[in-house]
Amino acid sequence: MKILIVDDSSTMRRIIINTLSRIGYSDVIEAEHGKAGLEKLGQGGVEMIITDWNMPEMDGLEFVTVVRGSNPSIPILMVTTNAAKEDIVAALQAGVNNYVVKPFTPDTLKEKIESLLG
Amino acid sequence: MDQSEIDALLNTGANKPAGKSKKAKETPSEPPAVAPKPAETKADRDGQVISEIDAVTAVTERETNKVMDQLDLISQLIAKQQDLVTRVMEQPDAQTEGVKQALHEIMTSGKTIQDKVYEAMDLMQFQDITRQKLERIVFHLRQIHDYIIELLGTGLKSEGERANISRTIAQTGTTPDEKRTHADSVVEEFKRSQQKG
Repeated sequence: MKILIVDDSSTMRRIIINTLSRIGYSDVIEAEHGKAGLEKLGQGGVEMIITDWNMPEMDGLEFVTVVRGSNPSIPILMVTTNAAKEDIVAALQAGVNNYVVKPFTPDTLKEKIESLLG
Repeated sequence: MDQSEIDALLNTGANKPAGKSKKAKETPSEPPAVAPKPAETKADRDGQVISEIDAVTAVTERETNKVMDQLDLISQLIAKQQDLVTRVMEQPDAQTEGVKQALHEIMTSGKTIQDKVYEAMDLMQFQDITRQKLERIVFHLRQIHDYIIELLGTGLKSEGERANISRTIAQTGTTPDEKRTHADSVVEEFKRSQQKG
């Protein structure tokens, strides 16, 4: 199971990678923003995306919209500081499958990932 | 922030006093060697503050990653120790009740340390949260900076586009999972409305 993490914070990417590793997912690739995320996605093999919202170059909402244009079924989890109801709704409308507000516990991330992977 | 970065910040002049230097007071008739700098405007100061906040954010991220490196190292050492203890447990000499009990306790405390290391790693999320809050402050400062530049008709506006920032920091939580129930309820409500539609 190859997972793509898109976040401009290297600290946050490490935290997510550590959590994934603890729950058995070690095949992870990283991108600093949406534009780089699309490039990584284009290389193939990605089965799930975990993305931040606030990033330079291309933000998470635009990234999700572009991904959904060509890939309607890949599971996408948004992990962000944006906690306003209108933000969550906007992300869901753009095509994210679930939503985690930072800061989160590893249990929450695990639960969301497992529910997305069914 | 290390000493070289502190020195670099001091050299920008941001922290120099506004009055004349001691030397200038001692030789008032001496013509200045270089043209005097124009008076520092509020816009200049705003620009310096933005740069300083950016620098602090970058340094904090770098230092947080150093802490993460150390935690990673501790985690690897504990894993190695656990492996060694497991091998010792298999030795015939380690089958007495007292030794078995001691090794079991070492394994249990190793697991506790490992859990605490992971917990510390997870708490490093504060760095990203703080960074985004600072970016929100920088965003407002840049708006003020650009407004003053426009009013004065001089100086340079803020450079290029930056990371898309959170529209509000007021709703950003600080405790892990503080906003989980709220987010989950919005997601559930949205999914229900999609099913109905």
